[in-house]
Amino acid sequence: MTMQTKRRITEIVLFVITLLVAVIFFFPIFFNLMSAFKSNAEIMRDAVALPKTLYLDSFKYLLTETEFPRAILNSLILTVVAIVAQVLIIPMAGYAIERRNARWTRLVFIYFLAGMMIPFQAYMIPLFKELRILGLYGSLAGPIMIYVAGAVGFGCLLYTSFVKGIPREIEEAAEIDGCSRYGIFWRIVFPLLGPVTASMVVLNGLGIWNDFLMPMLVLPSGQAKTMVVEIYRYIGEFSSRWDMIFAGTAMSVVPVLIVFIFLQKYFVKGIASGATKG
Amino acid sequence: MTTSIVNTDKSFIAAEKPGKKKKKWQSYALLFILPSFLLYTLFVIVPTAGSVYLSFTSWDGISSDIRYIGFANFVEIFQSPRVQNALKNTLVMTITLVLLENIAAIAMALMVDKVRWFRNLFRSIFYFPTLLSGIVMGFVWAMILNYNFGVFNQILTSVGLGDYIVDWLGNPKYAMLSIILSTVWKGAGYYMIIYLAGLQGIPQELNEAASIDGAGGWQQFRHITFPLLAGSMTVCMVLSMISALKIFDQIAVMTDGGPGFETETLTYIIYKVGFGELRQGFGTALAMVLFLIILIITVIQVKFLQKREVQL
Repeated sequence: MTMQTKRRITEIVLFVITLLVAVIFFFPIFFNLMSAFKSNAEIMRDAVALPKTLYLDSFKYLLTETEFPRAILNSLILTVVAIVAQVLIIPMAGYAIERRNARWTRLVFIYFLAGMMIPFQAYMIPLFKELRILGLYGSLAGPIMIYVAGAVGFGCLLYTSFVKGIPREIEEAAEIDGCSRYGIFWRIVFPLLGPVTASMVVLNGLGIWNDFLMPMLVLPSGQAKTMVVEIYRYIGEFSSRWDMIFAGTAMSVVPVLIVFIFLQKYFVKGIASGATKG
Repeated sequence: MTTSIVNTDKSFIAAEKPGKKKKKWQSYALLFILPSFLLYTLFVIVPTAGSVYLSFTSWDGISSDIRYIGFANFVEIFQSPRVQNALKNTLVMTITLVLLENIAAIAMALMVDKVRWFRNLFRSIFYFPTLLSGIVMGFVWAMILNYNFGVFNQILTSVGLGDYIVDWLGNPKYAMLSIILSTVWKGAGYYMIIYLAGLQGIPQELNEAASIDGAGGWQQFRHITFPLLAGSMTVCMVLSMISALKIFDQIAVMTDGGPGFETETLTYIIYKVGFGELRQGFGTALAMVLFLIILIITVIQVKFLQKREVQL
C-alpha cells in the first residue's frame, strides 16, 4: 500500500466516524422537529418513524386554545427589551471604567467583577420579595432589570478589554472638534465596538430566550409566563399530550436555529473572546 | 494645538486647564457608570446580602415573622441525610461532567480540525445543542429515554438488545447517568470551540517535524497536541466545573430530583426547599454553601491562571 492510499483510507475512516458522531448529535434536534408534526398516537406507536402526514393540529391547538401565544410574546419582549437595555447601559460603563481609569473606577470594576461569581441561586430567594417591595412584581420590567443587572459583570469585562484596543487619538481629535464625551462615545467609540456588541447580543439574547428559573419565579402565576416556562408547565399538566409539547419545543428551537444560521460567526467569536478573558 | 495634546491622556490633561478637563470627564464617567451601578447593586448585591441575612433565620418566605436562629440552618446542612445526598450527587455529577465534557470536547475538536470534508457543518452540529434551552432539550431527552415509548429502548429492542431495556429515568441507578449524558450532549460543543481555537494555535511545523522523526498519530497527540492544549484546558475545566455545579433545568424536567430525592443536587435542593417546601431560611443557607464553593473555585482559578501567565 502506498503512502497515498494509506492516507486516503485514514481520511475516509475519520470522516465516517465524525459523520456517525454528528448523526448522533443531531438526532435529538431532528427528533424534536419531526415529532412536532406527528399526532400523539403516531408518537406512541413508533417514535422513530417519520410523520406520515404533516400533522398540524397540535400547533393549531397550542396557538388557539392555550395561553401559548401570550408566552411567545412575553419571551420576545423580555429578550428584545432586555438586550436593548443591556446595549444602552453596559458598554458605556465599560468604556468609562477603562478610559477614566481612576482609583474609584478601578474599585467599581472589581465590585462588578465580583458579581460574576454569584450564582443566581444565591440571591433568588430575597429577589422575589424585593420585587414585591419595589412594586415590580407582576410586570415584565422586573425581569428586564434583573437581566441587565446580571450581565453587568461579564459585559464590563468584555467591553473594557476591547476599549483598550481602540486608539485614544480618535477620541481626542473629536474632543478638540467640540464633541461631548457622550457624543464621542455613541458616535465614535460605540460603532467601533460592533463585533463585541454583536457577540453580547447573540449570546445573552439566547440566554434570556432559554432562561427558565428566573421568569418562573418572578412572573406571577395564573397567567402565561415565557415559552420555556409554559412548556415546563405543560409537561406536568398535559403529560399525555406529547404532540402538543413537541409543537411547543419546536417553536422554541426553530428561532434559535435561524439566528444561529445567520449569525454564526458572532457566537464563535463571543466564546473565544470570553474564554480567554474569563 | 501642540503635539503633546495627541500624545497620552495624562499629557493631554496637563496641557490645558487640567482641573476643568478632569472634572468634566469625571462627571461623565460617573454618569456613564451610574445606571449599571444602580441596577447591579439593586438586583444582585442587595438580594445577595439579603440571602446572607436570611440564612441565619427560619423564615418561611411568606410570614412577616423572620426569626433569628443563629447557625442552626448550617448545622442542619451537616446533619440532614437528604442534604448529604444532594452534596454527594453534586460532587459526583460535577466530577463526571467535567471529565466527560472535556474528553468529548477534545475528541470533537480533533475531529473537526482533522476531518477533510464538511468541516464547518460538523462544527455547527456539535456546537448547536449548547444554544438550546435545558428545559426543552431535557424534555426531548426524557422522551428519547422514555421506558415505554422512547426511541432508545425501541432501538435497543430492534437490534436484539431487548434484555438491556431499563427505565432510564425512573430507576435511581440510571437516572443520574441519563442526566449526565444528556448534559454532555448539551454542553460539550461549547468547550469544543475553545479547544478548537487552541488547536489552531499550535504551529503545524511541530507535528510535521515529529512525523518525520517517526512519531505516530497517538504519540503526536500525547507529546505535542495534548500538552499545548493545557491553556484551553484550564479555562474549559473551570467553566465546565462552574456550569456543572449550577445544573438545574435538566433535573427539573427529567427527574424532578427523583425518584425520591435520589437525583437532587445542591442547586435543585435550594429551589425545592425554598419554593416547594417554604423553608426559605434554610434554602438561603444552602445557597450560601453553593456561593462559597464557586468562590473557592474562582479564587483557585485566578491564582492558577496568574501562575501560568508568569510561566509563559
